[in-house]
Amino acid sequence: MKQQTIESISVGDQLPVLHKSADEAQLFLYSAASFNPHRIHYDRTYAEFEGHTDIIVHGPLQGSWLTQFVTDWAGPASRLLNITWQNRASAIVGENLEFHGSVTEINQTERTALLSLEERNRNGAILMPATALIKLPSQNTLK
Amino acid sequence: MSTSLIPPESLARIGEILYGPITVTINEREAQRYALAVGDENPIYFDESAAKAAGYKTKTVPPTFVTHAMVIPKPLSTLRTDGLYRDGTGVRLEVARMMFGGEEWDFLEPVYIGDQITATARLAALDQKSGSKGPFVRQVRETTFVNQEMDTVARSRQIGIAR
Repeated sequence: MKQQTIESISVGDQLPVLHKSADEAQLFLYSAASFNPHRIHYDRTYAEFEGHTDIIVHGPLQGSWLTQFVTDWAGPASRLLNITWQNRASAIVGENLEFHGSVTEINQTERTALLSLEERNRNGAILMPATALIKLPSQNTLK
Repeated sequence: MSTSLIPPESLARIGEILYGPITVTINEREAQRYALAVGDENPIYFDESAAKAAGYKTKTVPPTFVTHAMVIPKPLSTLRTDGLYRDGTGVRLEVARMMFGGEEWDFLEPVYIGDQITATARLAALDQKSGSKGPFVRQVRETTFVNQEMDTVARSRQIGIAR
């Protein structure tokens, strides 16, 4: 995996876009792995009864996609210090989702970078705006 | 003057423990199942040498996995028709619906396979606000995760929006 360092990044850098789309099997596995029996994540009839257009992607799954988006870009020797997201709108099964992000601030002393992140759907609507704070290694400390 | 959506007895619960303290051992198989269900195949969750090369003591777990590791299994007889468990810890509000508003996480120390993590959740805040669609309540549930060395490894704040 690629490794970013405090020297390798600049304010304004864009993270490579992460694409995600969860099918029924993945949502089922996520419900199982998180021991979440909520019907809106597997029962289409029930989800529609609650007013949703289809089965709903779990909020915490999208949260974990956000952390993956950041850690895949930053590399394994970086440390995620904070992530904050807002659930603005739901994502549904099979929907093509995109994660966009950029570096908005760098603190050289602390070796941290603040990132601005967005999960968007195909129409460009922002489902989850987020920020992340990540600590990066220095080029000198990597062997 | 809008009427209060927060009954006095609920306001009095601010600061109260809603969950825990509960201690759970971080299980490798559960953590890897979680990572794979997310589609996150980062080697630091699966490969000891990759984790060590990245500066970890041993294999670590996806950042927010700790909250899922704490889920208490409950009998089928406690399931409601919507599939959620009946839960006596809910804070009573004069609202129709509670929605997830978002989450804030601080990660202070790595969580390793085999760690014993103790979680305690508190009702951190309950505020009535006015929005374009009328009054709503912002509920903050803060959970602290502490390891066997008494280091706080993570803190989460789950925001609930009730209207």
